[in-house]
Amino acid sequence: MDAVINDYISRELVQDASLLPLGNATSLLETGILDSLSLLRLVVFIQERFGIVVDDVDLVPENFDTVDTICSYLRSREGASRAGSRG
Amino acid sequence: MGEAAAKTGRLLRAAEAVAYWLAGAPLLALLPAGLAYRAACWRASWAYPATSEKHSEVVRSLRQVLGEELSEQEAERLARDSFRIRSCEVIDLMRLRGRTPALGKLVEVRGREHLTTALAGGKGAILCSAHFGSYDCAFSVLNADGFPITSIGRWWWNYPPDGSSAVRRLWDFVVARRVHRHRQRPNIEPWPGRMQVAVQAANVLRGNEVLTICSEAPPLEAELSRTIDVPFLGRQARFVPGVVTLARLTGAPVLMVSVHRLADYRHQVLEISAPVPMDGEAATAFERCAAALDATIRAHPAEWDLWFESDDLARLGLLRDTHPAASGG
Repeated sequence: MDAVINDYISRELVQDASLLPLGNATSLLETGILDSLSLLRLVVFIQERFGIVVDDVDLVPENFDTVDTICSYLRSREGASRAGSRG
Repeated sequence: MGEAAAKTGRLLRAAEAVAYWLAGAPLLALLPAGLAYRAACWRASWAYPATSEKHSEVVRSLRQVLGEELSEQEAERLARDSFRIRSCEVIDLMRLRGRTPALGKLVEVRGREHLTTALAGGKGAILCSAHFGSYDCAFSVLNADGFPITSIGRWWWNYPPDGSSAVRRLWDFVVARRVHRHRQRPNIEPWPGRMQVAVQAANVLRGNEVLTICSEAPPLEAELSRTIDVPFLGRQARFVPGVVTLARLTGAPVLMVSVHRLADYRHQVLEISAPVPMDGEAATAFERCAAALDATIRAHPAEWDLWFESDDLARLGLLRDTHPAASGG
């Protein structure tokens, strides 16, 4: 998952080539890679690629600041939906 | 002495404006429309004589942007008209009372069928406008007409967040509560750091609702890396093409909308276009939107709000010696 997310952001959202290769711990907000519109593109990608719907309330910097935080958020959502479907 | 007089003049005008918003306009709006709008025009002529600083700023902006197209007398006439229109827009706002606002009777909607057809596609619709005419009230009229409208827009009094709470309460009281009454969802405000804005907008469209955007808002500093330069009012102006990105990601059609006032100042025409093609490069697609806004502004120049905001015109790169590359942000 980390590689897929990193690859998408590097390919589609990074405009400044000096930021590549993108580290999984690089802040996407401080480097200006992620803004409101690029976040929408990322959310649409996540939905199509992983089938995970991102709630409005989850759109906070803590969940989307780095590739690492995005992936841990997505894993928590996957875990929650699995638990939900079992229960 | 001259400076003291100017300061007193500014204070008196500010006091008059607050009194008009809080008491004058609500009372005028109770009168028959013809009388109310005529009184609003009188008020503008009385409160903003040709000697005021704001009047001079509007004339200067008009002449700098429209240049040779305008004689000095024509710029003066348009400036006076702009003040009358602004004064009338407050009456529009006051006439938004009730579920079927009285304002609706004064606004003729043309091209409603384009919006109905767009919504039949099931992907929502984006109404793209300029800060032009009584756009906020016109969207309210559409909402009261049965179209579920939500707006993206920055209400200046909400920013910076630590601004005066008295000012925020005043404008929430006179403007926001009236506009919100005729909106499907709360206003979406794209201030810096609000990452969720575009996703909220996409959710409106996924609900097959209507989203309104004023696309000629000057870019904020945080948005400068995302801007594009397109021809606009005779120059290369700098815009954030958010409407194109949003339309492409959601599949929602973009329809241009404009509202202008007729010669009697009380009747208005709201025009909705057929969908604008969104194919090609983002800049090419946005150019089509900018061209439509350009045509609207040239057809009814007095209706454009940005004549009153020369800083915004500079940030767009529209004033002389303020090409985007030079004007910073």
